[in-house]
Amino acid sequence: MEVVGIDQISPDQVIFFAWHFVTINATLVYTWLIMALLVFGSIAITRNLSSDRTMSRWQNLLEVIIGTIRSEIREIVREGADSYFPFIGTLFLFIFLSNLLTFIPGYVAPTSSLTTTTALAIVVFFAVPIYGISKQGVTEYLKEYFRPVFFFFPFHVMGEISRTLALAVRLFGNMMSHEKVIAILLAVTPLFFPVVMQVLGLLIGLIQAYIFVVLTMVYIASATQTHEDAEHKPKVQQTT
Amino acid sequence: MHIDWFIFFSQIVNLLILMFLLKKFLFGRIIGAMDAREAKIGAVFTEAEKSRQEAQAAAENHRSRLRELEAGYEQMLIKARQDAEAYQEQLLEKAREEVDFLKARWMEALRSERANFLQELRRLAGNQIYAVSRRVLKDLAGLNLEERIVEVLMERIEAMDAEERKKFQKPAETGGSVMISCAFEIPPATQTRLNDVLHRFFSESIAIVYERSDDILSGCELRLNGHKVAWSVKDYLDSLEERFYSALYEETQEWKQVKEGVDHE
Repeated sequence: MEVVGIDQISPDQVIFFAWHFVTINATLVYTWLIMALLVFGSIAITRNLSSDRTMSRWQNLLEVIIGTIRSEIREIVREGADSYFPFIGTLFLFIFLSNLLTFIPGYVAPTSSLTTTTALAIVVFFAVPIYGISKQGVTEYLKEYFRPVFFFFPFHVMGEISRTLALAVRLFGNMMSHEKVIAILLAVTPLFFPVVMQVLGLLIGLIQAYIFVVLTMVYIASATQTHEDAEHKPKVQQTT
Repeated sequence: MHIDWFIFFSQIVNLLILMFLLKKFLFGRIIGAMDAREAKIGAVFTEAEKSRQEAQAAAENHRSRLRELEAGYEQMLIKARQDAEAYQEQLLEKAREEVDFLKARWMEALRSERANFLQELRRLAGNQIYAVSRRVLKDLAGLNLEERIVEVLMERIEAMDAEERKKFQKPAETGGSVMISCAFEIPPATQTRLNDVLHRFFSESIAIVYERSDDILSGCELRLNGHKVAWSVKDYLDSLEERFYSALYEETQEWKQVKEGVDHE
């Protein structure tokens, strides 16, 4: 049951509906599916939350996931972690669930579409200065682009663009290539090996979701840290 | 590999909507529950820490009291020992007094019992001796005991020396009367012979009065103005009583020695 043919590289190419520029393709449909799962699942689980020692298994699972994300954010940012939590948490849950469901036949991860990953990266691209300016102010934030000397400005801008591109392409490349590998393996050796690759795919999906949000967090942290803080506490290493 | 810009913007909008919805339905609620649980656990820990400090204080208080008790223990022990010894001495003294009292009472009872016993023995022995003697005399010699007793009395009167006889003669001459007391009725013939002996030895005019008396143990006696000639079993009984008393005394002493020996063991 192939939704995306082996010759198609992206779920964008599977179009269910098109009217002028409005197109409803597989990417969009599966995105809505993920959104519906997350939202209705959250409503269902959080309807009867318990703050006592005993709780439901689903609540426990959610608490473990959210507690882990929270502690990761705190380790990187240390101050005001909860203000970034909705953004980072949503990114992680969306990417993680998108990648996780790839073991379901007929499902195509929206993250294997470059359009989706670019959209996510662009959101991060804009979120970083928004958080930076809200924390430091416009002047202080912009000053960072001219440090250590003014002619570093173009390099900073290039860095911003390239890391955003890297974010988008990394996630897209990993997820798309994984799906292609599975499709090719199914055609060549339909037994056993695809299963192993699916299991590996679950791990890759988790790792990619983790990498995406950790990098986003690092970018935000670097943007929100003042110059003085960065000199005294060089704890954040920029990675592209 | 191209980017569909409609899908691109749609995905951005989708992400923003998802963020809004998750913030509303998931993060806010679940973080609220986690924070509430954390606060509860924190309160429990605070309470536990408070309880631990209280327990520690109580334990320290307990230990200090224990140390005080241990310090006072020796003194209390010595005092208790002294009190116990004093009480023991008091009890022993009381017991000794009770024993002495019981012993005295017992000795008194013993003496009384012994006296009663001897009295009864004397009476029974007197009667028995009298009965035996009477029977023996009658069986072996064909004699009557009463007659023989009176004869013995007469022999004693006849055997009196002059000095002694005067003691009886003087009151007889001045009109005194002789009192013959016997434990039995004197046969008339014997009585006549006794009268003759008395007239012959004391005085012809002497008045003779006979009486029966149970006080005289199987015998007869003659009394005149405070003087007396008599024969009775009393002498023999006195001797018997003396012998019996000494035998009883020796036996009591032996029993006492044996008992003291057992007590010492």
